[in-house]
Amino acid sequence: MTGDELKDYVARQFEGRMTLLDTGRFDPMYEVKVPDLLEVAKALRDDENLKFDFFCNLGGVDTGERFEAVYSIASTINKLRLDFKVMLPRDGAEIESVQEIWPGANWYEREIWELFGINVKNHGNLKRFLLPDDWDQGHPLRKDWDAPDFIRMPEL
Amino acid sequence: MGGLRTEEFIVNMGPQHPSTHGVCRLMLTMDGEKVVKIEPFIGYLHRAIEKICENRTYAQCVPIIDRFEYVTSMSCNQVFSLAAEKLAGIEVPERAEYLRVIMLELNRIASHLIFYGVTAMDLGALTPFLYGLREREMIIDLFEMTCGQRLTYNYIRIGGVSRDIPKEFVPQCRKAIETIRDKLNDYEGLLNENPIWLVRNKGVGYLAPDVAIAYGVSGPSLRASGVKYDLRRDDPYSIYDRFDFDVAVRYNGDCYDRYLVRLDEIKQSIRIVDQALDGLPEGPIRAKVSPNFKPPAGEVYSRIENSRGEMGAYILSDGSKKPFRVKLRGGSYNQLEVVPVIGVGGLIADLVAIFASLDVIMPEVDR
Amino acid sequence: MGLIRKLPIYAEKIPGGAITTTTLEKVRQYSQACSLWYLLFGTACCAIELMCTGAARYDFDRLGMIFRATPRQSDLIICAGTITKKMGPRLRRLYDQMAEPRYVIAMGGCTVSGGPFYYDSYAVEKGINHIIPVDVYIPGCPPRPESLLEGCLTLQEKIKKQKLSDWQEK
Repeated sequence: MTGDELKDYVARQFEGRMTLLDTGRFDPMYEVKVPDLLEVAKALRDDENLKFDFFCNLGGVDTGERFEAVYSIASTINKLRLDFKVMLPRDGAEIESVQEIWPGANWYEREIWELFGINVKNHGNLKRFLLPDDWDQGHPLRKDWDAPDFIRMPEL
Repeated sequence: MGGLRTEEFIVNMGPQHPSTHGVCRLMLTMDGEKVVKIEPFIGYLHRAIEKICENRTYAQCVPIIDRFEYVTSMSCNQVFSLAAEKLAGIEVPERAEYLRVIMLELNRIASHLIFYGVTAMDLGALTPFLYGLREREMIIDLFEMTCGQRLTYNYIRIGGVSRDIPKEFVPQCRKAIETIRDKLNDYEGLLNENPIWLVRNKGVGYLAPDVAIAYGVSGPSLRASGVKYDLRRDDPYSIYDRFDFDVAVRYNGDCYDRYLVRLDEIKQSIRIVDQALDGLPEGPIRAKVSPNFKPPAGEVYSRIENSRGEMGAYILSDGSKKPFRVKLRGGSYNQLEVVPVIGVGGLIADLVAIFASLDVIMPEVDR
Repeated sequence: MGLIRKLPIYAEKIPGGAITTTTLEKVRQYSQACSLWYLLFGTACCAIELMCTGAARYDFDRLGMIFRATPRQSDLIICAGTITKKMGPRLRRLYDQMAEPRYVIAMGGCTVSGGPFYYDSYAVEKGINHIIPVDVYIPGCPPRPESLLEGCLTLQEKIKKQKLSDWQEK
């Protein structure tokens, strides 16, 4: 399947659940609503013509007004690639865990919980991961985070 | 035996340990000699590279991302430059593409030679360490001749490469890869049929192909389990579709096959470097990129085939001269995720062999 | 053993008595400096250069240095690589486990002052000299193997200048 055929196929199969955004510069970028996340992920993995079985990346983004969780997945059988993101509010951001569908997503979700504060439901192991054990200074990758010994590089 | 009470106990391995490649801590729950549960603790090398990149311009980000995976630092430069070029729609000149491929494949050979030396050293054999690093010094000489650095190169920049190769490069490079091709027979003769090596590696740490794909394992560890997935062939980037090479695959999925796949990959990389040196064209080495590089707003995820698996960079740009968000993905992250699954049920000595054969490097995990 | 410790103190009190301890000092200086056993402690990029210095082309063994896996058997810790806030207490514990006399080489920009991670990083310790006392600093990112050999030779010269009375219990 080429890139345009993939876009048409997804537009037909996932109408209403995945909307194409125009920010993707190379691979298509879709938006999925928070309640639809688990069933869309399951359909992407199990669909005969897509078979997205390889989990590439999950990153959190803090745009200032909201949080986003960006998923990147690939198919080893059909040689395809796709990105989709979930928009979340800044207060009380919560998503479902996709680790039953892609077990490799386990540690990625733990990381966005620790560095952004996005709560992941049904994860089972949200513990300290990358930061020191006695860290009490909040979620560092947020744009408004600051600390007394955090030195920013001066503008040249 | 009636009346004999047994209980499990906890052994702590790391963070300072000669066999954990870097600083990784594993809490092992043992039942006698058998490992029952493994829990990895990471974060001892978390340097906040992603937060640093948010306050640097694109050109200033490249040397910081060098330190993300320092053994194959050319690949780190390449994945970030690919993402930035896709964002801005820059086309890289031909000579730069060929130079990039030569440097990437030489770096892959150097990384696999370190794997060969360090894996053997973990299991007690000290001679392969000296052999492997001796040959690697020939490749490091080539890099030093080109860009001046031995380890973190900052050579592949956005739009091309930073400087041209001197005229001694091509003959010396051919001599180096000829020598390595001959010495590979020595390496295989040392370890391949060695009875101790076979007993410690054959049948140890079996990784099933569907488990590997489900956990996101990629690279030589995946190809040793029989899955023929190589991004240079299946999702070609740069000019890899012009070269003729085989994808090295083995089917047993144990530590011995993971070791054999990497030796096969050295041979294939030598083929690619030969072909690239033959076809090297003349021309400019860098596209015109303004010093005030500002790609248009958008997001992109680019991925390449590193010697440890799939390496990816996600960049979100808001149109300014600094990237808004950079997220890096390394192959070792998923390989460490799969260690609690395949390391259970054996001895601690088997765990050392598994950890070494998966070729995990901690900065890729911790960033 | 008690006599060896008390001898320099008494020898200094007698005029011209220090000459009795010079041979003993020389023996101790040379045996200490020419067989430093270092702890395998590499965290980041400088660890690869440390491995290369110990390998075939630039050899550490000709200076008498061999690696040990445990701090109890080593008397030098070459701290190669970035030390983060999570790793700092563990480094202190390793240093405390070494037996005296013990020395520290800080290798690479990250251990000297934080290196390229000084600005904008929330998790990096900016220099190790407020965790453990450092004897020799080697700048570079990463320093070449020749720099590391020069650092080890500098440490050897520093050891050869130490007197017996420096090793007394105060």
